[in-house]
Amino acid sequence: MRLARPAHDAILAHAREGAPAEVVGVLVGGRGDDDRVTRIERARNAADTPRTRYELDPAEQIRLIDDIEAAGDEVVGFYHSHPRGPEGPSATDAELAAWEGYVYAIVSLADEPSVGAWRWTGERFDRLAVTVE
Amino acid sequence: MASVKVTCEVVGEGIEECELSADAAYGDLLSELGLSRHEATVLVDGSPVPADATVAADTVRVLRLIRGG
Repeated sequence: MRLARPAHDAILAHAREGAPAEVVGVLVGGRGDDDRVTRIERARNAADTPRTRYELDPAEQIRLIDDIEAAGDEVVGFYHSHPRGPEGPSATDAELAAWEGYVYAIVSLADEPSVGAWRWTGERFDRLAVTVE
Repeated sequence: MASVKVTCEVVGEGIEECELSADAAYGDLLSELGLSRHEATVLVDGSPVPADATVAADTVRVLRLIRGG
């Protein structure tokens, strides 16, 4: 996945501002064999326990998606943060993943902050190489 | 029993036609699409509707949820 530097920095900034709660948002750009993220849209974490869970309110989610598509862009996937790690998807992430074929990016603030990306196959998360450019 | 036809836009995926019994609930519509009420919700006129409410719209949007930990 190619991740534009401003989008990468915006994901990290969102995660840092939101800590110790988890944050969530939408990856915007173009989908394909080589997904390209050009920008992000922040969303509100509507989970009851935002330090350990994330949830996008459906009404906000559909409004964001419609606005993104109206602008001629595509939803590449979604991101959320793990303020205390782990770096990759948690068991809860796998249990609740629903967007088959889409990218789930995770920013971990444990140790060295990083942005990783995985594609949900419907059964498991496949790790993607992330190129920040 | 009579049936109803519902046009379903699964957001981010495509459009499917569903045929349901007249007393079917929105949760039944999700099942017809192979989705559970824990992973998706039905939107009518842009707003989520309860999964146990009887289907009363001929066009709906189905939104897969974004949740995790």
